[in-house]
Amino acid sequence: MTELAHPSELAQTSESPPGWLVVLSQELRDLWLGGRGLVLSFAFSVLVGIIAYLVATNTDLNFLEQRESTSLTLQVAIAVGGLLTLLVAADAVSGERERGTLETLLLTPVSRREIATGKLVAALSLWFAAFVITVPYVWFLGHGVGIVDEALVAGLAVGTLVAVFLASLGLIVSCFAASNRISLSLSLFVLLAFLAPTQLPAGAQQAWAGDLLLRVNPLTAGERYVSKIVVNGHGWTEDISWLLSPVIGALVFATAAVLVSGRYIRLRGGVSG
Amino acid sequence: MRVALLAVSAGVLLAPVATAAGTENVTVTVAPERIATELGGKFAFTSTISNTGPTKARGLIAHLNVLSLQDGTYVDPEDWSANRTRYLDPIALGESTTVTWRMQAVNDGDFGIYVAVLPESGEPVPPVTGPTIRLDVAERKTLNAGGIVPLVLGIPAALGLMALAIRIRRRG
Repeated sequence: MTELAHPSELAQTSESPPGWLVVLSQELRDLWLGGRGLVLSFAFSVLVGIIAYLVATNTDLNFLEQRESTSLTLQVAIAVGGLLTLLVAADAVSGERERGTLETLLLTPVSRREIATGKLVAALSLWFAAFVITVPYVWFLGHGVGIVDEALVAGLAVGTLVAVFLASLGLIVSCFAASNRISLSLSLFVLLAFLAPTQLPAGAQQAWAGDLLLRVNPLTAGERYVSKIVVNGHGWTEDISWLLSPVIGALVFATAAVLVSGRYIRLRGGVSG
Repeated sequence: MRVALLAVSAGVLLAPVATAAGTENVTVTVAPERIATELGGKFAFTSTISNTGPTKARGLIAHLNVLSLQDGTYVDPEDWSANRTRYLDPIALGESTTVTWRMQAVNDGDFGIYVAVLPESGEPVPPVTGPTIRLDVAERKTLNAGGIVPLVLGIPAALGLMALAIRIRRRG
């Protein structure tokens, strides 16, 4: 819940900070000092810890190479970190609406676009926290083969793009959803749909249609890029085409989220409202 | 007519014998015949395929197989070795060829490994197999692989404590 206690402080004077920064500050306080961010981070660390433990055990038993185990952990971190940002963003507007705090927020002298931008960046803070939590695991799994730096840079770049894409998607859904439950469930459903191509058999992924599906999907394309860097030891530009859809997805959806929210952050949800 | 029938019969009878010549004079030996390792352990053994016949042996395929000697243990040979089929070069008479097989123990327990040689012509002749290699795979418990447990427990514990402290402070 975002409560801007002193609306007068938000007046757009030359000395006051931009409105989106005020919203961001309030959202971060709400997310992290309110405890929700830490609880989600705790759940994330448990999950990544279990994955890291399993891959370390498999590496110890020679069933997995160190590069593969590092890549696998990083890919799980990117996917789950993206999920966290999606959940927070999907709650951003519909949640305020259901808790009855959206009206107060809309009465403040901050534009709807600035509200959306502040909320979007605040949701991304969960991804950055998730990445910081992942760093020790990646170091532990990858330091023996000297791939920690490459893994972390690739993970940060791809994870940030994926997180921007998913958070923007969640915010758009949240603007239109008639209820918070619909917003969250629809966002989760869309995320699962994006992750579904990873379950395709290897043969189907190598066929042209499967390859195209993996390339146009920002999640699978991003994860494939990470795998190429970490597992195959490729250079940064060798497989740069795999980054195309994460970059386009992040840019297009972030722009769309800000534009859509400028018009559709309203007291009543639903597409016809 | 009778001559023709005899000729056909002779052809039918002789055909399998002629094609079976590809493997009937082939012998397979393995070394070592007993291997002990632990779960996840990588090991190798060799099989020597010898041609004891009067002519060059051509078109032979050596195939590796592994099975559990105890009921109830699932074995997927693909997991044990990524390269289980070898297409052999022709073996001159009196000569032999040695194939090295690299494997990884995926399950613990007692297993049998054997190499079968058969003709690539697909003729219905029995494959020639070498002696069974007895493989003993010891169980191995990896509870703290590389020392990861402190990390796996420490990070969530630290975050959990922080979350708890914030909750307590908010309530207080």
